[in-house]
Parts: sequence; structure tokens; C-alpha cells
Amino acid sequence: MLQRFIFLIAGLAGVLAAAGRAEAHPHVWVTMTEELLYAPDGSITGVRHSWTFDDMYSAFALQGLDSKTPGAFTRDELKPLAQVNVESLKEYAYFTYAKIDGKRLKDAFADPIDYFLDYDAKQTVLTLHFTLPFKTPVKAKALELEVYDPEFFIDFGFAAQDPVRLTSAPAACAASVEKPHDDFFPATLRLNKAFASSEANIGMGASFANRIWVKCP
Amino acid sequence: MPVTDGGAARLIRRLSTAALLAMLVLAAAGALASACAQIGPLGGPRPPPVGGIAGWLLTQQALFYRALSGLIRAAKTDGSAYWGLIGISFAYGVFHAAGPGHGKAVISSYLVANEETWRRGVALSFAAALLQATTAVVLVAVAALIIGATAKMMGDTVRVIEIVSYSLIVLLGARLVWVKGRSFLHALSAARSEPAPACSHHTHSHESHDHAHRHDHHRDEDDEESALPWGHAHALEPEDLAGPGGWHRGLSAIIAVGLRPCSGAILVLVFALAQGLFWAGIASTFVMGLGTAATVAAIATLAVGAKAAAKRFVATRAGYGALVLRGLEVGAALLVMALGVLLLTGYLASERLGMF
Repeated sequence: MLQRFIFLIAGLAGVLAAAGRAEAHPHVWVTMTEELLYAPDGSITGVRHSWTFDDMYSAFALQGLDSKTPGAFTRDELKPLAQVNVESLKEYAYFTYAKIDGKRLKDAFADPIDYFLDYDAKQTVLTLHFTLPFKTPVKAKALELEVYDPEFFIDFGFAAQDPVRLTSAPAACAASVEKPHDDFFPATLRLNKAFASSEANIGMGASFANRIWVKCP
Repeated sequence: MPVTDGGAARLIRRLSTAALLAMLVLAAAGALASACAQIGPLGGPRPPPVGGIAGWLLTQQALFYRALSGLIRAAKTDGSAYWGLIGISFAYGVFHAAGPGHGKAVISSYLVANEETWRRGVALSFAAALLQATTAVVLVAVAALIIGATAKMMGDTVRVIEIVSYSLIVLLGARLVWVKGRSFLHALSAARSEPAPACSHHTHSHESHDHAHRHDHHRDEDDEESALPWGHAHALEPEDLAGPGGWHRGLSAIIAVGLRPCSGAILVLVFALAQGLFWAGIASTFVMGLGTAATVAAIATLAVGAKAAAKRFVATRAGYGALVLRGLEVGAALLVMALGVLLLTGYLASERLGMF
């Protein structure tokens, strides 16, 4: 009888615990293409994001904005919105996390530059373009870049085609992409001792993180 | 209709056991997911993992949600798309509530803390969901349709509503802790002063707080039966909502939970408005609310059932039984307050309306 009681209490605790997990679920979907910008000396100066929002969120973001042509928005008309976007993104560290030669970079990025919004009237979607300059240009053999929302209100995903571009990078540099649900890990990387001992292995294939690896041997 | 048949009772017991087990598994999966969430290559918090029930719920929810915009668009030219919209909205609501969220946690804890019937739980769940849908529709109608507010203005408004709503949860929890804490102390002092039979403490503590079981249409012999869905088969009555504590008590829980509109509903409404089909958005929002209410009501019923079963067991124990029960209620009351505080201070992020 006591056993049963304990079971019931555990059950009740289970109900409440399950109910109490107030974690998030996404309401915004972003399809992204990323560009890494290189200086002539081979250092990386910044990351250029292009984030396309889903149609529902795009409609929400455009709510209350005026345009000369109904159903179409020019870059100029979207300027104030782009401003609001990049300013708000600061609070979330632009959802961009960098790791250099295995070391996490804290406070790596300066304020965004060259930002604007584009509206695709046919697809009725907005795309936010902005460049995050590294505070100090990065020269590294291995750069790891992650884009995700830790609270998962926004579901980031790479574009199906050419999600990552290296612009004016040294010829030896190569980028690879790891998508969520993706078991793709280059064999060389998996065999690498430093990598094997890093935490990167732990969450393998079990997260929503989108990762870009840039290797310059 | 009281259960008299032994076979049916056994079946129900088995079903409730199975349901409890399922919830335990869900909780375990959740705990595991949270544990995994702590480990990230960058040391920071990790996005939730895809595995487990939580991941599956997230995926289903996302699929339904993503289908909504297509269906609203299709409804402009194809009338049959409305049926799809209604069906998917309901499914989204069901999965939305089954996933993470504080609403059902607050309602379930509230029901456990109070001596409530399952029907009151169902009524509370539906009323809260109805209020939530209504606030979303009113907000979008006033802000977008009448004022022409921007997304940022709407986001700011939601933030204010949020603060009010979370503060109400804290107040609700604090009040429960006060009331339940006192009856716990009563039970404690009674248990200490007179080592009399348990039933006298039981009665004593019943009198010290308002009690849901003293309905006159509850002519049952057994307290437990009245708390469970299988105890009575007749339909919901308005008095179930009002309850013995009066309207205001249930109302505070409804408002605390239902005041903050669901971000998904706001996005659907604004999208429908942009497509020139505002009323399709309104229909979708209310059906979503129905789906949400169905899930919350199911979880609330489970919580009430578990409490009733615990109570039945406790009734057979001498002395400490009533104390355990009162302790359980205090625990649930504390949980409500803790949820409110965590939400208010931002440690628990409930929902964010985009990046504004």
C-alpha cells in the first residue's frame, strides 16, 4: 500500500514536472545563408548574415508599415524596421557564436554594419542582411561558427543551396556545414584528437545547432 | 453515474495507472532533455535536442503551424481549405499545449493545491483558453485593424500584458501558500497536540479552508469519486466554474493564465489580416484555443485524479495522512508562486513575439 502511495506521489510529481517545463517552441523560422569576409592578408574580418523569415512572421513584421506601392516595400521604406531589427538583435548576441582554434570567443563582434531588409513580393517574405564585423580580425586555422537561438523561439536553418560562402578567402580554406539532425562530420575531423576530446562531440546529431566549420591549414 | 461495477473500476484504475506512467516517462524525457541542454560546445545554453517525446511534440507542432499560413492563403480561392484550416488549428492547439508552457502547470498546481473536482479543472482550462483566444483577437483587432500599430508596438503591448499576467500568477501562488500553509500548520499542531484518530484532523483541516466537495449535487458516499471524471457522467454546470470558493477564486486563475495571448495566435491573426481574411484568422484562433483547452483539461484531470488517489490512500492512514496531504497542497501552492516568480524575473522564458 505504501508502495502504491509512493508511486502515486511520484506520478503526481511527474505530471507537475512535465507540465512545468516552460521551454520554448519556435514561432519564427529563418532560412539563412552566411558569408565569411576575408581581408587581403587572409584574416576573417566579419560574418555577413542573410536571414529570410517565414511568410507568417514577415507579414507580422510588416504590419502597420506604409508603402507607396501596395504589397511591395522598398529598402528605404524598410529602413526603420531594419534598424529596429539589428538593435533588438544585440540583446541576443545576434544569435551568432564563434569559436577559434577550439576556443570560445566572448564578445567577438562589433555592432552590425551594412544592414538592410529586402522584401520579396512574390514569396511575401522579408530578408534581413547584416554584417557582423569581428572586433579584431581573426586569423585562425579553424573557425567554428554557430547560429541558433538558445531559447528556440526562432528556428534557424541553412538554405538548401550554397548556405556558406567564403569571400576572398585564401585558396586553401574550405568551409563545411553541419546541420541539425545531420550526422555529417568529416572523417578527418572525427579522427582529430583535439576534436574528439572537445565537447563538440557530446551533442552530436542531437541539437538544433547550425554549425559552420572553416579550416585553413 | 457512480462506478459500481468492479470490473469497470479496475479498468479505470489500470487506465489511470497507465496515464500516470506515461506522464512519468514524459517528465523523465523532459528532465533528460534539460540535462542534455546544458552541454554545448560553446559552453552556453543549448537549443533543445530533437530526440524524445519533447522533440516529437516540437516537430508536430512546427509542422501544423507551418501549414497554417498555406491554408489561410488557399482559403482565399478555395473554400474547402477552411476545413483544413480548422482541423490543423485544432491539432496545433492540442500539440501546442502538450509542449512546453506554463499555463497547464499553473492550472494543474492550482487544482492540486485546492481541493478541486475534475470538472472544475476542465471548466478552468476551457475558460482560460477562451480568454487567451479572446485577448489575441481583441489585441490584433484594436492594434492592427483600428490603430494600424506596428509589430514593435504590438510586441511592447504583449510585454506589458505579460508582466501583469505573471504578477497575477505570483499573487495567486502567494495567496495559495498563505491559505494552504495555514491549514498545514493547523494539521501539524492538531497532530501534535492530540494523538486522536486521523479522521478528526481530516475534518478539522477541511473546515479550515474552502472545500470543493461540499456540492449538494454530490451525493456520493466517497470523496474520491466526486473528484474524478468517472465519478459522475453528467455535463458541466455553471456552478462548477463558480465553485464553492466563489467566482472570484476561479477567475483569478483563469485571468492569470489566460491573459497573455499566444504568440502563435497573434501571428496567425496578423497574417490572416494581411491576406484580407481576418475572420479566418479569428476562427483559427478560437479553434486553437479549443485544442489547447482539451490538452490542458486532460492534464488537469490527471493531476486531480492523482491527488484524489493520494487522498484515498491517506484516508486509510492514521495521524500523518492528513499532514501529508496538506503538505502536498503547500508544495503545489509553492510551485504556482515559483513559476510566477521565474516567469516574471525572466528565468523562465515563456514566449517571445519575434525579435522586437
